Amino acid sequence: MFELLPPLNDRNLPWIDTIHPIVVHFVIAMALVAFVFDVIGRLAGKPSLYEVSFWNLLFATVAIFIAIIFGQVEAGLANPYGASRDILNLHSTLGWVLAGVLSVLTAWRYVIRSRDPLQLPLAFLGAGSLLSALVVVQVVLGNQLIWVYGLHTVKVVEAMRAGLV
Amino acid sequence: MELGANDLPYRLPIHPNLVHLTIGLFVIAVAFDIAGALFPFEKRLFRFLALPVTRSGLHDVGWYNLLACCLISFFTVAAGFVEMQLADPLPGITSSFAMGSTATMLWHGAVGVALLFAIVLMTVWRGFQRFRWRREMGRQVQWSYLLVGLLVFALMAWHGTLGAQLGVEFGVHVTASQLLGEGASLREALP
Repeated sequence: MFELLPPLNDRNLPWIDTIHPIVVHFVIAMALVAFVFDVIGRLAGKPSLYEVSFWNLLFATVAIFIAIIFGQVEAGLANPYGASRDILNLHSTLGWVLAGVLSVLTAWRYVIRSRDPLQLPLAFLGAGSLLSALVVVQVVLGNQLIWVYGLHTVKVVEAMRAGLV
Repeated sequence: MELGANDLPYRLPIHPNLVHLTIGLFVIAVAFDIAGALFPFEKRLFRFLALPVTRSGLHDVGWYNLLACCLISFFTVAAGFVEMQLADPLPGITSSFAMGSTATMLWHGAVGVALLFAIVLMTVWRGFQRFRWRREMGRQVQWSYLLVGLLVFALMAWHGTLGAQLGVEFGVHVTASQLLGEGASLREALP
């Protein structure tokens, strides 16, 4: 049965390169900028920015589920070693948590926007700051997997296949 | 300055993280201006989804995200240049684009600056359309602007692939790859 699966390349992937880090552009940028625009919108009294934040949040939520799908497949092929095993577990767990948080916040935002698109309760800003903090933690964890432990990089995969890791 | 095994004075490179913001904001900005331009075709879909949408709202996303992208990208390029000065690619490697490390870095540097110029020019162009030329119009952007946006997006994708190759294939600023390149054992050096 296993011979039906596509062969893995020098990054231990069935496709050309990791897709997860590309999809997360849209989660990270959209979630963080939504919070920034909410803060500016409130401080500068510019409610048109709330609309921009709403769309950015919605897109972050769509993107995170795509990011998780690719993330789970690529995590499954990552062969983590040493401390990166725990980091990958934490990164996966927090990824699902973030999907939940983003979905709830977007739904809440949809209700706020339907009632009055020109007002934003302070409580939402608080929730937005929590979301931003979670995103930053998640980014740091993901960064360690690639930039410290080099998962799915050619040199590390080579060492892994030689049994050196 | 004390450099770590990754040839940086800190553990995680900054440029690839700012890149998330530059690419995400640019792509979504252009996407929303396309959605705004094609608004008459989407109206029924939004009504079906019970999602109240205004055309000017979609164009607001296009404008403000591009503006944010423009501001942040100066830092993206600046961080890229600092970290490129400190890069120590693994020797004797040819990338999947059949380029060596020097060629890859030169292209990534030159096209990076070109992309920053393109983003700044597009932001100015977008501003003129929004505040002067097309102020009274429903469709806030010219078709030519959207076309240029898609072309810059394509260039960005190729450019991003070069950047990924610098990390994934040449091991630039990847601690584990650099340690392996020095002949260290990851079992001991990176437990």
